[in-house]
Amino acid sequence: MADWSQLPKDLLDLIAKHLDSPFYQLNKLRLRSVCSSWRSSISDHHPRRRRLPFLPNDGFITTHQSTFAFHLSKRTIFLITLPTDNNNSWLIKTEEYHPSQMQLLNPLLRTQIKSLPLDSPKVINLLNFRILELGHEFVLHYMNFRPFGNTSLGDVSSLYMEKVVYIRLGSENETDDFALLTIHVSGKLAMFKSGNKNWCIIDDMPLVDDMLSPYDDVVLFRGEFYAVDNTGRTVLVGLSSNLSLVAGSVFGGDKKFLVESVGQLLLVDMYLSAVFDDVDGGAEDDDEAFLDGIMGESTLRFKVFGLDWEGKKWVEVKSLGDRVLFLGDNCTFSAPASVLSGCKGNCIFFTGNFNRNCEEGGSSDGVFRNREIGVCDLDNGSIKPLGDYPEYSKLFWPPPAWVASTTLGVGAK
Amino acid sequence: AIQSSRFSCVGFPLAYIFLACKKKSMALKLKSSDNKIFEVEELVAVQSETIKSLVEDGCANNVIPLPNVDSKTLELVLDWCKNHVDVKLDEEKLKEYEDKFIEVDLAVLYDLLMAANYLNIKDLLNRASQKVADMLKGKKPEQIRETFNIVNDFSPEEEEEIRKENLWAFEE
Repeated sequence: MADWSQLPKDLLDLIAKHLDSPFYQLNKLRLRSVCSSWRSSISDHHPRRRRLPFLPNDGFITTHQSTFAFHLSKRTIFLITLPTDNNNSWLIKTEEYHPSQMQLLNPLLRTQIKSLPLDSPKVINLLNFRILELGHEFVLHYMNFRPFGNTSLGDVSSLYMEKVVYIRLGSENETDDFALLTIHVSGKLAMFKSGNKNWCIIDDMPLVDDMLSPYDDVVLFRGEFYAVDNTGRTVLVGLSSNLSLVAGSVFGGDKKFLVESVGQLLLVDMYLSAVFDDVDGGAEDDDEAFLDGIMGESTLRFKVFGLDWEGKKWVEVKSLGDRVLFLGDNCTFSAPASVLSGCKGNCIFFTGNFNRNCEEGGSSDGVFRNREIGVCDLDNGSIKPLGDYPEYSKLFWPPPAWVASTTLGVGAK
Repeated sequence: AIQSSRFSCVGFPLAYIFLACKKKSMALKLKSSDNKIFEVEELVAVQSETIKSLVEDGCANNVIPLPNVDSKTLELVLDWCKNHVDVKLDEEKLKEYEDKFIEVDLAVLYDLLMAANYLNIKDLLNRASQKVADMLKGKKPEQIRETFNIVNDFSPEEEEEIRKENLWAFEE
């Protein structure tokens, strides 16, 4: 009879490698909690958790004169499920400040969750849940003052708003080398490699139909960087800032996203409409009307494409089947509907603005209203704010009662 | 192309190359732990790095004993190897084959894993490890123990240590 507890260390390590996301060691932690033999085989996860680096500014952002550097932080999106019951799941994004000290964030938006409900748990025991890591995101924070003073990193001012993708170079544990890819304010790609003093702005933004087409999205796929511009033209970004074409333009909508789903790279095209209310409303209000229009742009529909690698073209996908896509502000990820309680497949969760009656809550309400999570059901094309789906809302907030009750059950202090 | 023209300039007889190829696909005899003899083409068998180094060292003239692999497992492993000889095989078909191949019960999976490790067959080892990883994914430790029939042998002190390791505190 096979005795899995006596699996040789090198085999267990290999299996753990297949489990592991490169960024978080939760799975190792779980294997260490199975039996004493596995515990001694799998090394302690804590020493591996290293501080993420500071990065220089050096010509990257010129608008923020005072920004002398960036601080990089990492966030992980988890799906927490009751092991007995797939119908209860909770989607969260966390940032680890100190070992095991987690900050809760909205899974799709940039915003931090301001306050936990009074009755929600302050501590949860991971041993009680099934936990899936669905995605990771990296965020650059502006640093406008010297660190290591009295000011803690938590006070670092605003966030850099573009998406950032990160890759660790070299084999695990041997080096701290990394590379970052993001989108520069010019719309070009910007890469930073550890050890370098400067960012590299990749000089590539071809004219497509006489229009400059800035980059829209970057993604890490099968260990390599990919980027897509506003027309859908997609490139593989090499570590020496060399680009190779992966797929030609599709044009179509207004904002392109790259997302991985069951090992495939997908392109999602979002169609927006800017709503210009009251166009005749006085010339002196033009700026305001314009701003209102931008802020009020609403999501009309989505198209999804799969990649024909050989033909170097995007091919429209009619249905996502059981898959659900998430297009967050800082990262994209996907999951099967079967693990998301109350969700059906062929849906897209995204962030956007929704057309509301602006007069409802005062005249200026529409201009600076918050972004929200929206849901698009590709079966019928319907687009609604998350709040219109009570079942789907439960996936996000507030923390489900079963999280609290299960935790209380183990007597967390 | 440059090399082959150089060969013909030197007058390298084509027949010699054919002979070399033919010699390469000679049959090897492998003996499982339960003393069954398997006759396989060398090209198939040398996907095992272990067997390959035996062949290279000239130790493969007689029967190669594989005391760590039983006949049932060896048969499966050799089937895997046969299907991976022709690297030009349609990628989709190969994936289909691999997915079907690895759909085995846990005892067989364990044997495959150990055999792939001992025989040092990289692609099989990776596929088997991936299969185990997929079965572990997301599961809590108690479920892992149930699935893999592992006894919880931690002392109460270790249990407490593990509990502490697995706590997340939410900051506000």
